[in-house]
Amino acid sequence: MKLLVAGVSHKTAPVEVRERLAFAENTLGAALHDLASRQGIVEALLLSTCNRVEIVVATDDATDPAATVSAFLQESRGVAPDALGPSLYQHEGRDAIHHLFRVASSLDSMVVGEPQILGQLKQAYAHAKANDCLTGLLESIVSRAFNVAKRVRSETGIGQMAVSVSYAAVELARKIFGTLAGRTVMIVGSGKMSELAARHLRRSGASHIFVTNRTYERAQELAAIFQGTPVEYTRFAAMLPEVDIVITSSGAPHFVLTKDEMQRVIVARRNKPMFLIDIAVPRNIEPSVNEIDNIYLYDIDDLQEVVNSNLRERIKEADRAEALVAQEVEHMMARLKVQEIAPTIVSLQGQLEQIRAGEIERARRKLGPLTPEQEEAIESLTRGIINKIAHGPISELRKQAGRPDGVHVIDAIRQVFHLKD
Amino acid sequence: MAEMSIVWLRVAAGLYSLGLIDSILTITQRRAHLFRIAVGALALAGVFHLVSIVEQGTAIGQFPASGFYESMSLCAFLITALFLFVYWRYRLESLGVFIFPLVFIMTLVASMGRPVEASWTSKTVRDAWLMVHVVLVLLGYAALLFTAVAAVLYLVQERELKRKKPRSFYHRLPPLGTLDDLITKFMSWGFVFITVAVIVGSIWAFVEFGTRWVTDPKIAISLFTWGIYLAMVFLRVSAGWRGRKAALLAITALGCSALTWAAHAQLQSLWLR
Repeated sequence: MKLLVAGVSHKTAPVEVRERLAFAENTLGAALHDLASRQGIVEALLLSTCNRVEIVVATDDATDPAATVSAFLQESRGVAPDALGPSLYQHEGRDAIHHLFRVASSLDSMVVGEPQILGQLKQAYAHAKANDCLTGLLESIVSRAFNVAKRVRSETGIGQMAVSVSYAAVELARKIFGTLAGRTVMIVGSGKMSELAARHLRRSGASHIFVTNRTYERAQELAAIFQGTPVEYTRFAAMLPEVDIVITSSGAPHFVLTKDEMQRVIVARRNKPMFLIDIAVPRNIEPSVNEIDNIYLYDIDDLQEVVNSNLRERIKEADRAEALVAQEVEHMMARLKVQEIAPTIVSLQGQLEQIRAGEIERARRKLGPLTPEQEEAIESLTRGIINKIAHGPISELRKQAGRPDGVHVIDAIRQVFHLKD
Repeated sequence: MAEMSIVWLRVAAGLYSLGLIDSILTITQRRAHLFRIAVGALALAGVFHLVSIVEQGTAIGQFPASGFYESMSLCAFLITALFLFVYWRYRLESLGVFIFPLVFIMTLVASMGRPVEASWTSKTVRDAWLMVHVVLVLLGYAALLFTAVAAVLYLVQERELKRKKPRSFYHRLPPLGTLDDLITKFMSWGFVFITVAVIVGSIWAFVEFGTRWVTDPKIAISLFTWGIYLAMVFLRVSAGWRGRKAALLAITALGCSALTWAAHAQLQSLWLR
């Protein structure tokens, strides 16, 4: 069995190339069918996303998978693989497994650690499965890749840190309050970003959202989106002591919240912490508010700084993830090795046992009835002999499994012992 | 101190203990269950306390403010009276958390102004009693240590969040809310342990040494540390001190406790005397 991954990704090819190779959702079934019906292809999987196109095949030993996949690309996409040059990567055997594990774990993604790719791979898997294109080796490798991705997510911090400004706001809120359950949010002004941040906060457990705006109608509209409460602009400052998180993005040319005002608010709150997110430019909240104990003020640049730091942290975590993936590849190879030689070992043992049983039968006919002690002696003598004989070839099989030219040795052993499949 | 005066003072201390229980419940459960009962008991105790002071005054034929025990008793009574007045006038319930334990401990100490004749019935009881004290103190210190560790983490994380330039601490330390919760819990339980330990320890020293022990500087340090602890708990529960200030306070309390512990490391000598 041979394994090949061929494809292009955002790392190797610009979008003009990727779009030429991409498979639309509705043509995927037909393409899979075409690929799987080619000579020598045993299993196949097609993964096509906006960032990558991957063709994964398992073929029988007599077939050259690279040539088959080239022909497939040529005929179905009208793209000659040679024309793709270095954009097209091809991995075989162990490298193919390594590549699949890395892709599933989002180590090869544009934003390292983003989990979408795993969902896309699961979809591709379901597609291939539905078209009977995953039946053995490749299936076990791909489902192992899902497990590897899960391990990477749970054992490294690769996916934990927010990499967008609005998620960074949620992450900071969590760092301040612990849980967001029961926290209330006030949105001052309107804007895409504040809407997005409020949506994330809401989904993370924030219990209530107040919305205020100079035009009350606008506040009402926005409040309707979050099942929140619109608040009159003149009244919002009086409500601040009740609010844990404030997001400001109004177009006001001056500070909407000043240090003196916030000082009063924090006293009224009996020092319960507050998180202020100022997304407006020019800023809505006096920057020195951050000096007040228990108030944390972040403006748009501060949030961006958090995102940058998180990205750096993700890259650090990616190193740990790579080690984990390498280790998993090692395990997979060991498992495949055993799978590969297991049938030969079983039939070798069966063959010898058959000979032994036949010879005992013949001996018994000659010797007549035996005492239980004699039976036992013959039994252990013959068993000892076949075990000694089997030891050499079995350890040789184990040694040769997985080696490139091991196939020949395995074949030779099968021939010598007259093993049938 | 005069015999009858001491009896009334002990009755007062018994009633004050209801206030202590109320404080402990307020601190650990964050709900005032017994407050009304405790205030009632406090008023009644105040009457007994006054009787005790008058009795003492008549017995010695002068104003009973001479000597440690008499002035302690008088001071505790004045605090009670003042609290009752403030409560009646301003309904300042939250002050109770601080006042109740303080008045109880002061009255308890004051009621030890007359040595008891009865000694320990057996050495086992005496040692067990002391062990209870030591174990409670150690539990209290352990809780305080956790409080202080959580406080240090809090300060680091708070600094990270204020600086807005996240480094690896930011990613690895727990959220402020969680730490604040931990500080509150450990501090409350530590306070309960230490308070009970102070009561048990005072009684032990009283039975063992009569009235001599109060002048021992180690005891003074212990009571001072307990006072700091009480102030910390009060500021947190009633005045809403949280975050950075509360964390600094917790670290101070740990420092004082370390001092007390150092002073008591020589307890053995006192004990074997």
